[in-house]
Amino acid sequence: MIQFQNNEIIELPDITEITFNRVEKKYLKVVLLSTFINFFIGSLFFILFIEKIIAKKIPEYTGIFYFLFSCFVISIFIVLIVGFPKRKFAVRDKDVSYKSGLFIEKMVTVPFSRIQHIEIEEGVFSRLFKLAKISVFTAGDSSDDLEIKGITKEKALQIKEFISQKING
Amino acid sequence: MDKTIDFSEFTRQSSKGIIVIYGNLLITIFKKTWVVFLLLITRISKFRHFDKTYFIVGVICLFVFLFIRSYVLFRNFQFKIEGDNFILKKGIFSKKNTSISLDRIQNINFSQNLIQQLINVYQVSIETAGSNKTEISIKALSLQDAKALKEKISSKDIQEKELEQDSLKPLLTIDAGSLLKVSFSENHLQSLLVFLGLLLGFYQQIEDVFKNFFEEDILKNYVKESKELVFGSFFLIVIVLFVLLIIAIASSFVRVFLFHFNLRFFMKNDAFEIKQGLTNKKMIVLKKGKVQSITISTNPLKKKLGISYVVFKQAVSGKVKKKKEKLIKIVGCKELHLERIKESLFLKNELVNSKKEYPHSYFKFRIAFKSMLWILFINVFLLLFFNSLKTLYFNSIWIPLFLFIAYKKIKKTFFKISENLLLVGKGALETHFTYVEIFKIQNIKLRQTIFQKRRDIIDVVLQTAAGKIIIPCVPYHRAIDIYNYMLYKVEKSTKEWM
Repeated sequence: MIQFQNNEIIELPDITEITFNRVEKKYLKVVLLSTFINFFIGSLFFILFIEKIIAKKIPEYTGIFYFLFSCFVISIFIVLIVGFPKRKFAVRDKDVSYKSGLFIEKMVTVPFSRIQHIEIEEGVFSRLFKLAKISVFTAGDSSDDLEIKGITKEKALQIKEFISQKING
Repeated sequence: MDKTIDFSEFTRQSSKGIIVIYGNLLITIFKKTWVVFLLLITRISKFRHFDKTYFIVGVICLFVFLFIRSYVLFRNFQFKIEGDNFILKKGIFSKKNTSISLDRIQNINFSQNLIQQLINVYQVSIETAGSNKTEISIKALSLQDAKALKEKISSKDIQEKELEQDSLKPLLTIDAGSLLKVSFSENHLQSLLVFLGLLLGFYQQIEDVFKNFFEEDILKNYVKESKELVFGSFFLIVIVLFVLLIIAIASSFVRVFLFHFNLRFFMKNDAFEIKQGLTNKKMIVLKKGKVQSITISTNPLKKKLGISYVVFKQAVSGKVKKKKEKLIKIVGCKELHLERIKESLFLKNELVNSKKEYPHSYFKFRIAFKSMLWILFINVFLLLFFNSLKTLYFNSIWIPLFLFIAYKKIKKTFFKISENLLLVGKGALETHFTYVEIFKIQNIKLRQTIFQKRRDIIDVVLQTAAGKIIIPCVPYHRAIDIYNYMLYKVEKSTKEWM
């Protein structure tokens, strides 16, 4: 850190030293359930596609198609399950961070002073488990801002309240 | 017209506004239907007499209807300033009432298109930023009123002195001669693509109409025939390439002259002022504090001529479509001008003491891999299309080119961090230097693929209000240092980022 010699601060707060919290374990069920339903609808179309088109034109390949499709579905579920514990968040005094990703690990930090607005959202399945998603928006292209999915609704409200207080006070 | 309005009551635009609205309506209608009109007019002589009168009556009715519409639009377009809010009413059937807080307003720009130039009125665009999606443009105000409105709006900000624009000397003026140089050294390939895009739009429009009028696809057959003819002979290919080259250069010239004609760049205490344009004259005021990042770019040709262009980026609101308009580009800057611009935005010599940091050698691998993928993709595509192995031999000439581009890319990627400023360099054939003040960063992200994890490197992605900046393949510990430092800077800063 030779570049920053001029600074009066010697020790900067280190992002690697804070403890991240995992999101609720229940949320895995929500993720699996919604993925399952999506795939269920998807597979109906896929089966229709195989039976109507593939089975008529190249019947010897139908088995391979089914095999590849099920491999794809299974691997998606494995990635979801194995990658789930990687979803972690942390709220510090002046910023909020979120980590996720199995093959591509990501970590975002948004300083409170740059937050434009905060949203809390409850999905259909999340509501069954009393879970919520909190999204934090900054200025500019908002596709890349921070989202914490799968925390309890109380926790989400608590975080929102905390951040709002910090911004206004 | 000699007494200015104070805008505290609901005000309409200058009455000339009717002409502007009418003109704009006619132009949009004409753009959508010109092909039909062309067809009708060429065939009108074949119609019997009474058909012709119907046609003419129809056209007149359309014109009258549009005039009434624009008159009502004009009547219903009213605005005022009330307290700290700018309020706008508009609409015919669905009335819209917009209110914008004055400190949300980012910029007030004047512009003139051809109609507005002819009747000497100005279009005033009020830009806002953040999550607010409203963008307002008042189509016709006299220069006096426009200035008065601007003053009224910006006086809430700071007590801005009346600046005598005429006595102020511009930092940069571009005459026709320099503009020629600029156009000559443009990225002609890009101009060609823009031009072809326009052409494709026209072609589709024409094709649609032809399809509706005739059963068989005359146009398509015509194009198909000529395509076969063209690809039949090598000589013709050369001619086509030559013609494309000429078109590319010509469209560069047209583009540069349309946008940057008579470019003048003024520097004031807290703002830049830019005037440019041929048919669409624009006057843009850019507050220094609202610039999110600047990018200085050049290419080998421009470098020889000693010129580069500068793009100022401002905060964009959620919509990506509007992005282009928030980019303010000035061309033909000399080294001296660049220095002045940088000095006025950032502290002098900020970056002198920091050293250039280059990405980890894995970055080379990544770039090389990507270009190989491109070559593979193109070859597979050509193989499927032409179905002959000969094309593969022919294609091998591309490999050195791709490698050259990859090499250039690797050499030009670097970053520099000082106490308050970040400089990121990138580019392949062109060279881009992007400068951002660290406290203007909105959020920071680290991204690491499993391949990067093995080598202990990571990508740093910085989100500003004007877009993403990526620093690729930084060693892990350095990345964490940057992350911590930038967060510290942003969180400590009390300056307004916008």
